[in-house]
Amino acid sequence: MAKILESLQLTIIAGIVLTVIMVFATEAIYNGQMSAPEKAASDMMRQMN
Amino acid sequence: MTHEFGLFLIRYLHVISGIMWIGILWYFNFVQIPSMPKIPDEQKPAIGKVIAPEALFWFRWGAFFTVLFGLLLAMMNGYLMDALLLKEPNIGIGMWLGLIMAFNVWFIIWPAQKVALGIVEADAADKPACARRAMLFSRTNTMLSIPMLASMISVQNPIM
Repeated sequence: MAKILESLQLTIIAGIVLTVIMVFATEAIYNGQMSAPEKAASDMMRQMN
Repeated sequence: MTHEFGLFLIRYLHVISGIMWIGILWYFNFVQIPSMPKIPDEQKPAIGKVIAPEALFWFRWGAFFTVLFGLLLAMMNGYLMDALLLKEPNIGIGMWLGLIMAFNVWFIIWPAQKVALGIVEADAADKPACARRAMLFSRTNTMLSIPMLASMISVQNPIM
C-alpha cells in the first residue's frame, strides 16, 4: 500500500479504482434493501430506459 | 430566515469549507510534495517554517467546518441517520469517506506535521518518521477524495 501512496500517479489510479468499486457497492446496497416487488419494478424501469 | 434559505446557507458554507480543505490537500500532494526535492536547501525553510504551517491551519479548520456543515446539512434535510447507516448509500459512503479523511487530518496528519515541522519539541530522530507518516496519510486522503467527491456529486446526478 505504501508503494502505491508514494507515487502520485498510482494514488490517482487507486482513487479511480475505488470510485468504480464504490459505484457497484452503492448499487449492491440499494438492491439489497429493495423488496422483491420494488426490485421487479426497478428492473422493468431500467429495461424501458 | 426560512428553512429553504437555511439549507442554502449551510450547503454554501459546506462547499466553501470543502474547497478550502480539498484545495489545500491537493496543493500539498500535486504541488508542494513533488516540488520539495527541486528547491535548494537554503530556501526550504520558507516552505517548512512559513508556508506549510499557514497552509496546515486553513487545511485542518477547512476539514473541521466541512464536516460540521455537512452533518448539519444532513440533519436539516432529515437523512443524517439513514446516510450514516448506509440506508442512503449514495451520500452515506461519501459521508463516511469524509469522516475518515477528517479523522486522518486532525488525529494523524496534524500531530505528525507538528513534529516534522518543529512546531512542538521532539527528538530530531522522530522527524523523518513523522514526515513520512504525514505524507502517506495525506496521500491516503488524496486517494479517498476521488470517490468521496464522486459520491457527493452523485446525490444530485446519479452515476448509474
